[in-house]
Amino acid sequence: MTDARPLIFDSHLDLAFSALQINRDLTQKATTVRVHDSVQTMEGFGSCTVTFPELRRGKVGLFCGTVMSRLDPNDRWTRTGMYCQAQCHGVGRGHLAYYQALEREGLLRFVKSIEDLDETIAAWQNPDPTTPFGLILAMESADPILGPDQVPEWRELGLRLVSISHYGTSTYSHGTGTEGGLLPPAKPLLDALKAAGIIVDLTHLTDQAHWELLEVYDGPVCASHHNCRTLVPGQRQLTDGMIRSIAERDGVIGAAFDAWMLDPGWQRKVPAFEQLTNATLETVADHIDHTCQLLGTSRHCGIGTDLDGGFGTEQAPRNLNTIADLQKLQPILARRGYSPADIAGIFSGNWIRFFKDVWNCS
Amino acid sequence: MPEQPMLIIDGHLDLAFNALYHRRDLTQDVHVLREREDPKPPGPSHPDSLRDRKRPESTSRGTATVSLPQMRQGCVGIALSTIMCRVQMPTGLLDDGMRTQETAHSMGQSHLHYYKALEREGQLRFIHDTSDLNAAIAAWQNPDSTTPIGLILSMESADPILDPEQVSWWWEQGLRSVGLTHFGANTWGHGTGTRGGLYADAYPLLDALAATNIALDLTHASDLVFWQLLDYWSGPVHASHCNCRALVPGQRHLSDEMIQAIAERGGVIGAVFAEFMLNPEINFDDPATYPQTARRPMSAVVDHIDHICQLVGNCDHVAIGSDLDGGFGREMAPIDYDTIADLQRFLAILDRRGYSTGDIAAIAHGNLSRFFRQAWS
Repeated sequence: MTDARPLIFDSHLDLAFSALQINRDLTQKATTVRVHDSVQTMEGFGSCTVTFPELRRGKVGLFCGTVMSRLDPNDRWTRTGMYCQAQCHGVGRGHLAYYQALEREGLLRFVKSIEDLDETIAAWQNPDPTTPFGLILAMESADPILGPDQVPEWRELGLRLVSISHYGTSTYSHGTGTEGGLLPPAKPLLDALKAAGIIVDLTHLTDQAHWELLEVYDGPVCASHHNCRTLVPGQRQLTDGMIRSIAERDGVIGAAFDAWMLDPGWQRKVPAFEQLTNATLETVADHIDHTCQLLGTSRHCGIGTDLDGGFGTEQAPRNLNTIADLQKLQPILARRGYSPADIAGIFSGNWIRFFKDVWNCS
Repeated sequence: MPEQPMLIIDGHLDLAFNALYHRRDLTQDVHVLREREDPKPPGPSHPDSLRDRKRPESTSRGTATVSLPQMRQGCVGIALSTIMCRVQMPTGLLDDGMRTQETAHSMGQSHLHYYKALEREGQLRFIHDTSDLNAAIAAWQNPDSTTPIGLILSMESADPILDPEQVSWWWEQGLRSVGLTHFGANTWGHGTGTRGGLYADAYPLLDALAATNIALDLTHASDLVFWQLLDYWSGPVHASHCNCRALVPGQRHLSDEMIQAIAERGGVIGAVFAEFMLNPEINFDDPATYPQTARRPMSAVVDHIDHICQLVGNCDHVAIGSDLDGGFGREMAPIDYDTIADLQRFLAILDRRGYSTGDIAAIAHGNLSRFFRQAWS
């Protein structure tokens, strides 16, 4: 029996963070992990949404999995923001080691080239319960990179996509929750990334840093998990001008599934378990649709859920139980008039094209 | 007792765990770390910042006492410092166990690469062999403010070693001492707080370890595991951080028979600076007996060193294995201790208790350096 459902590419999952810092066994079903999590974990990070069995159920066969550790001394929420780069490097290498350990077991494979990508897509046309997931190694905040001289080593280790900031101020740039632009170490880093063929992810830059970066760096860009400021106010979302600037470079924007980025009524300072979001999968479609209408094409839209990226089901669209429910987006988009080709593009085709185009040139 | 500070080799510190789990930047002064752990961050916050959301702290931290500047100040120039990440169901008392061996392995690599990043900065230098050890000892005869601290990489609970085939890789990374177990029952066998022996898979692991010159650390073995290990393993053994069961009750400490067995094999026992292991009213196996604060001074540590020296008839098998900041802070450390720089004052206490300068040097660094030279020859 063939699986006719479209393959999904999720451009932003903090799997290693979930496994190591939230301390979860991601080889279990989400319902099992929820039972294993402590009350403190549930209240701090929310109820588990993303595990490998759930990804398989949702046919999310390809994803960007992050190395995620940042300088952020004031992080009192996750208590994982660091004070120095050596700490970030240590945590980041642990995230890499986690993906390597899973590759050793055959659960996933690193996707580093067009051939790897093609093989993974072919395998997921008709997946069986052991088909390895395809992982493109990404980094959220470049703090684990100790200097431009270390970029080739990270490339060798599989890194293909980097956002240079996250929350707070990284070594290289101001990020979400701060005001300011790029910092002096950014330019040499960006040059080294470009030379190594590593893509720059614009997510989590401040407005000022977004425009400064596009000024000083002419390589490929994307926004791995980002919604629209026209629909939800706040620095964390992209203005229409920013969306156009990414499309002009032929980048792709992954729609994020975090209620804070979907629901203007979401209260940041109230714990997730004390509020209910109005956001649903329809709201995600609104953001995708806004970008498509703005640009006149669906070519630049993708999915970058960020599910379990420090929040759980409580802070996800309310009709999403686990990441397996991403498939429910298909009828929603179809009802809104998206063709099967558009939907296939949004689900995976646009990201696949994007990576192939970049890797073809490098 | 010479006027000059004397080199100390600390046989057990969890530096990377403190840096990554408690997010302490160990290149900073201890007093900076204490200030940072003040719960109220200064300054206004941006609406998109994370700082106004709050989760509870880990229960097992305490006030910081160990950082690299204080180690330099106290001439703690060489340390066995751990990769510490075990598989254990997190509990209210101990929240740092990982759920799977794969995640423990990955966390272990985090610890490894933190040390490597510090080496890149010149803060630390890995000690792989006798010539590295000799160079570090020589450098610390006349240290300056930039002398790197020598690191002998150790592992507390061998969960990060995924299988015997991976042992040689860990050896290449610099791993020189391994304890198979920690708290609870882990991948390879039973540890502190449990009753039971090694699992069958531990034997092929021991065979692979024996193919290197790695030292086996008997600390945190259950009683049965302790004797199983001594029966099977013919390589070097030590107890990096253990006190005496004759003085304080509980399985966590070494019985006289165990001490003698380690000494017969040429091993060295590091004395621990924790109230839990110094106060005879506390049974390590029974959290109900745990106090809120420490009541014992550093001289209580000398009692344990004394006991071992009297039992084996010489000073050749004792060292410092302080375990400071290893899941407890200043509150549970000796009452006359503030930071790790105070270990020099501990040497002065040994002097007052009648230890000769030669004996003090052996305890401070000589016995551990001899042990590793022999292991690596």
